[in-house]
Amino acid sequence: MLSLGVLGSAAVALALALSVYALIAGILGAVRRDARLQTSARLTALAVFLATTTAVVVMQAALLTNDFSVQYVAEHSRIESPTWVKVVTLWAALEGSVLLWAWLLTGYTAVLAVTAPNTILRPWALVVMQGVQIFFLSVVAIAANPFTVLANVPLDGPGANPLLQNHWMMAVHPVLMYLGFVGLTVPFAYAMAALITRRPGTEWMRLTRRWTLLGWGFLTAAIVSGGWWSYEVLGWGGYWAWDPVENVSIMPWFTATAFLHSIQVQERRRMLKAWNLLLIVLTFSLTLLGTFLIRSGVVSSVHAFGDGPVGPFFLAFFVIVTLVSVSLVVWRWDQVRDRADLDAVVSREGAFLGVNVLFLAMTFAVLLGTVFPLFVEATTGARVTVGAPFFDAITLPVWMLVLLLMGVGPLLPWRRAETQTLRSNLLLMGAALVLAIVVAFAFGMRKPYPLLTIGLAGWNLASVGLLLAGAIVPRARITGRSLGEVFGRYAFEQKRRVGSMVVHLGVIVIALGIVGSGGYRVDQQLRLAYGERVPFQSYELQALRPFSEQASGRASVGVEVAVFQDGRQVTVLTPRINRFGTSQMTVPTPSVRYTAGHDLYLALAGAVDPQQDFVIIRAVQSPLITWIWIGGAIIAFGTMFALSPGDRPVRRRVEAEAPAGAEA
Amino acid sequence: MRHRGRYGIAPRRVVYGLLGAGVLVFAGFMINQALNTSLVYFILPNEYAQQPSQYQDRRLRLGGLVAPESVRFDDLALQLTFMVTDGIESYPVQHVGAPPELFRENAGVVIEGRFAEGTFVSDNLLIKHSEVYEAPEDGHIDIEALRESLQ
Repeated sequence: MLSLGVLGSAAVALALALSVYALIAGILGAVRRDARLQTSARLTALAVFLATTTAVVVMQAALLTNDFSVQYVAEHSRIESPTWVKVVTLWAALEGSVLLWAWLLTGYTAVLAVTAPNTILRPWALVVMQGVQIFFLSVVAIAANPFTVLANVPLDGPGANPLLQNHWMMAVHPVLMYLGFVGLTVPFAYAMAALITRRPGTEWMRLTRRWTLLGWGFLTAAIVSGGWWSYEVLGWGGYWAWDPVENVSIMPWFTATAFLHSIQVQERRRMLKAWNLLLIVLTFSLTLLGTFLIRSGVVSSVHAFGDGPVGPFFLAFFVIVTLVSVSLVVWRWDQVRDRADLDAVVSREGAFLGVNVLFLAMTFAVLLGTVFPLFVEATTGARVTVGAPFFDAITLPVWMLVLLLMGVGPLLPWRRAETQTLRSNLLLMGAALVLAIVVAFAFGMRKPYPLLTIGLAGWNLASVGLLLAGAIVPRARITGRSLGEVFGRYAFEQKRRVGSMVVHLGVIVIALGIVGSGGYRVDQQLRLAYGERVPFQSYELQALRPFSEQASGRASVGVEVAVFQDGRQVTVLTPRINRFGTSQMTVPTPSVRYTAGHDLYLALAGAVDPQQDFVIIRAVQSPLITWIWIGGAIIAFGTMFALSPGDRPVRRRVEAEAPAGAEA
Repeated sequence: MRHRGRYGIAPRRVVYGLLGAGVLVFAGFMINQALNTSLVYFILPNEYAQQPSQYQDRRLRLGGLVAPESVRFDDLALQLTFMVTDGIESYPVQHVGAPPELFRENAGVVIEGRFAEGTFVSDNLLIKHSEVYEAPEDGHIDIEALRESLQ
């Protein structure tokens, strides 16, 4: 009998077999310089993508038609769930997530196979992509097959994890995360190809610049959206708790950010060859290590991903990838050794190098804090957790230095800075820093980190201002055009540079949001008797009435709370407790009033008992917290701007090709 | 011309190397300090009873079951008090805030805070779903099973 489960398993097996063929054909084609074999490998990449797409479509069909003969559907779906929940159930649990990851990977490989320029690196890069793909497809086929067919078909399932069903952001966040991880696989594949072909120059990073930026952009968006999901769902009014799941997502982000900066040093100065190769290896292997840590259950996490069977697979692949790629770097040491030396510490490359060291230091510290409980348990038997204070104590001072360098770096020229201009620039930025601190102090801020961050925000704003002024004012003077017009032209000619300025602005905005919400949040439990107005900060809260609601697959109990400010009612918030399907688990769901200055966040602290004439809620006021999400959007915009086609080098080539006087 | 020392190493590199080593030592020291102060031990009441001095003034995660007939909640002061037990030892717990929705007798809980004069003062109260660990009916508690279920 041909069921969806059998069909899905067959599609995965076919994809795996084709991928193995593409790997072998790719290696043979590259070694023998056989163009036909290489083409065959490339076309097979498309076929693999078709096969995995079939698998995903089959899984979606099974989810949407409630085919409980498929184990994954039986364990994670439910008839009465709304359609969007059924669609996102694909990545609501382990097996589906790995299938999604494999599918996106085959998609990237297919795009790469079609669009990558025909260089000596291409066949090997595709071979590495196929190798990674084979790993993921084997995990899907062997360890975590979502298409396993059940002998006893249940009539209904328990539904997806309630925490995931509770917010639409869950439809977005995991996909962004995998798009980021997969995107960063491409530069890794090209780096390996560069080592295999003995070409560790800048070619591999030029070819993958867009992929790197794309992967980094997705990863950033994933982390920010994950924070927003936590804020909207977890009910404690925060967005980052240094939980292992969060830590393993930030580590590759740190190394990818370092990589994004250090490849520019190699492109300009032919330095840091080995460093860049090792950084992208580290970024890729950290995504594997992270997946191992959180999916194998070796570290405990509030997100409770549970202990799946895939842990050993990821650990083994992590070890293989790390060993093979580091050996490759060592084997090719003669080619990757730097011959140039740093001319001066005070230079663009000096600043980039500094920021690299800082990001790696944070990566190391976060990794240490994440795995330290394992060491303690192995050596002393004691069960410990490393609290948030550790991560704060280590990363906050480093972040301050990062913000400091972020202001200086872009202003410094390559090789060696001319001290005269540098001194006057630094003087201006220093003045902005002091001014910002003084203003913040006058407004009553006394905590050192928030004050320093605000000062550094001023420092960076001055830096961006100086950068733009330096680029625009002389052009405006020469051409006689208005400043706005010159800026418009400049922005479209220098997309990468202007995009990076926008991204840095976004970072500043996020930093201010973190300072406000981290340093000045008020968190309090309040007893609200129905009808009575209870003061909270600048508000008065009045519990109006309890309510209960039934939606498809969801039951809610909550309280309507009227919010007054200056005697006027500004809104009604509805904190509630959701229950999904037959699950015993309840999800306290907060209700938030977003404003630019601060958020008012209400969550139910206990049960809503109709017998009681009061309700107890947790009220949180977080200054500036909205700016974290806005800053994330700014970074996403800046990244897209930098990625948008048609930047300067392309134009130049077109101009150069046109013969003089021949106007097109 | 790049000036090189006797062993073909530029003196500037030696300086960088020494600076780098200094930074590493300092960072190691900082990390060690930070780890020591922010390690939070997870223990059961009987483990505390064995060596109370070891956990003096330390932030702890204390696991156990809510002892039957020990729960008091003052809804005006928002003070929750109960006994946490592992079947061997019990300690009184003071928590500011409402009992969470699934809080009830015999529920598995993990509370975060410190001991002060024999009472555990908590600022974070987590309910662990007892799907793994079923509350005892004969009064006998399997310590290992309890520990696993609270992890």
